[in-house]
Amino acid sequence: MNAEAVPSESAAPEVVLSAEHLTKRFGDREAVSDVSFDVHAGEVFGFLGPNGAGKTTTIRMLVGLARPDRGRVRIRGLDLAHDFRRAMGHVGCIVESPDLYRYLTGRENLVHFSRMLPDGAAARISELASLVALTERLDDKVSTYSLGMRQRLGIAQALLGNPDVLILDEPANGLDPAGIREIRRLVRRLAAERGIAVFVSSHLLSEVEQTCDRVAIIHRGRTLATGPVRELVNRVASDGLRLIVRPARRAAEVLAAFGHAEVAGNADGEGEVDARLPKESVPEALRALAAAGVDVFAVERSLASLEEVFLDVTGGETV
Amino acid sequence: MRFSGLVENEILKFSRQRRFRVVILILVALIGLIVFAQARGRERFHNKDWHVETQERMARMQNMLRDNRTPPTWRRWARFELDRLRYHLDHNIDPDAVSGPLFARGFANAASYLLLPLLAIVFASDVVSGEFAQGTIKLLLTRPVGRARVLASKLAALVLAITLTVLFGGIVAYLFGGIAYGYGGWAAPALTGFRVAGERLDPASVRSVLLWQDTILAYGLAWFATLCVGAIALLTSVLLRSTAAAMGTMLAALIAGTILPRLAPTWESQKFLFVTNLPLPDYYSGSPPPITGLTVGFGAAVLAVWAAAAVAAAFAVFVRRDVLA
Repeated sequence: MNAEAVPSESAAPEVVLSAEHLTKRFGDREAVSDVSFDVHAGEVFGFLGPNGAGKTTTIRMLVGLARPDRGRVRIRGLDLAHDFRRAMGHVGCIVESPDLYRYLTGRENLVHFSRMLPDGAAARISELASLVALTERLDDKVSTYSLGMRQRLGIAQALLGNPDVLILDEPANGLDPAGIREIRRLVRRLAAERGIAVFVSSHLLSEVEQTCDRVAIIHRGRTLATGPVRELVNRVASDGLRLIVRPARRAAEVLAAFGHAEVAGNADGEGEVDARLPKESVPEALRALAAAGVDVFAVERSLASLEEVFLDVTGGETV
Repeated sequence: MRFSGLVENEILKFSRQRRFRVVILILVALIGLIVFAQARGRERFHNKDWHVETQERMARMQNMLRDNRTPPTWRRWARFELDRLRYHLDHNIDPDAVSGPLFARGFANAASYLLLPLLAIVFASDVVSGEFAQGTIKLLLTRPVGRARVLASKLAALVLAITLTVLFGGIVAYLFGGIAYGYGGWAAPALTGFRVAGERLDPASVRSVLLWQDTILAYGLAWFATLCVGAIALLTSVLLRSTAAAMGTMLAALIAGTILPRLAPTWESQKFLFVTNLPLPDYYSGSPPPITGLTVGFGAAVLAVWAAAAVAAAFAVFVRRDVLA
């Protein structure tokens, strides 16, 4: 992996995609309000929010399917509204779901979309097919593909034009864990090796945490926070612990002295305890457990749920 | 990204969908059935000399005209038919002659009412709504190609598909008709230019041309009428974004158009509807038009205006409208 070849820390980051004050109204309802963010070359940018938060509407504006009522989209500095064709020449995308022509083969789909690009795109078909591991099934009809294969074919399609920006809407949706891992690895590789700016939307915090460098959190059509993923997740995840102990009830009693603790499973025998304690008191709490004769089998940091992140960034407003 | 590449895309999608094969099958099956049924009918009734047969028919018309109870619309038709038969008799041309070429020629008239428009609708109503239904519209409109160009490529492919369908129908009609009635006879004389002057046929306008010339003209008119239906169906496909809804709307219009002249022959404004003007080949070959004042030129002009307006509206909506879930 030559991940370090991409200019990231040294120079000022190169902005390839920027949303400026995007607003979209449907009747009286404002589905997206004043959403702004920049996506840099070579990074994976997460767009995190619960379903119905306005993610897909924002994406539709990013790729010119819907016109913003206010604000604008710039791709490599080109205003999407005025320079649609040149701007979209830099973009590959999957909006909502990887919909391709099911009655055509994978190859025919790629040929079809290569004809909508400058000459030379068709020459990349076999290279891209092997990149997304579809070479063997490329001449089968798409209707016989699994969702994961369609997702990968969709990504190959999006890469046909050698884009600088790749926009993926909920790429993990409906995939099994192996499929999710595969897509994640592919996305990281595209950003690291080709310097592509990848924009990924998701409603799963864990997904964004494992895939993205930076994240914008959107809720009810507004961006609540934008920043590096680590910062955001650490803010809420640092005090959550899950322990597997015996006996669980005794452990909960001991831990309650350091913060908050409750038994999650079997209370008398070996069980799980969820605790919330400040990071600095964790070593002391573990010594206290040992002193109280509690057997500790495992201690792990529990992942904050998206709800907890929202609670944190909104300061308690309900999701 | 040449325009021809985009048209190639649309042709690829047309040809790989089941509807294309269904249309071909419908044409072959239907024409086969018509030839079979007609040939059997003729065996039973046509043993007489055609001069005698035609004179008998003219006598029946005259009886009908003498009868006071005959309704005015029938009366009009009978007078017209009488003139036409007399003209044929005078020029020694069998009005009911059959041959492969004549069958092919007749198919243009018969098919322009319903069959060809129907097939055009089957193609056109899916052109845009199909992309919405499959979700592929999101890819199609996020490529570095303007929306107007995308729609133009679809229109071009539609014109091609309709042209091939009309051609194919004509060829199949000739091939099947030939099996039953023989393949020769393209050079036979055909009477054309029958025109209604007031309540009567105007014999001055009638010309005799060669059958193959007449056939090309008839198919040209059928093709034009079918194209116009295709353009209007394309608009419904853009507006409704659902193939079923678009097809249903167009079918309803088509059926209403075939019924209306019979139910309300006195309502003259219906001649400005597009459906009333679809049987262009009929108006040209001189069957009495259902509404007075319908001629080939008028019909073609009305259809052209409808088609042009439909295409303009389709582009205006397609280029501007948001694509949402």
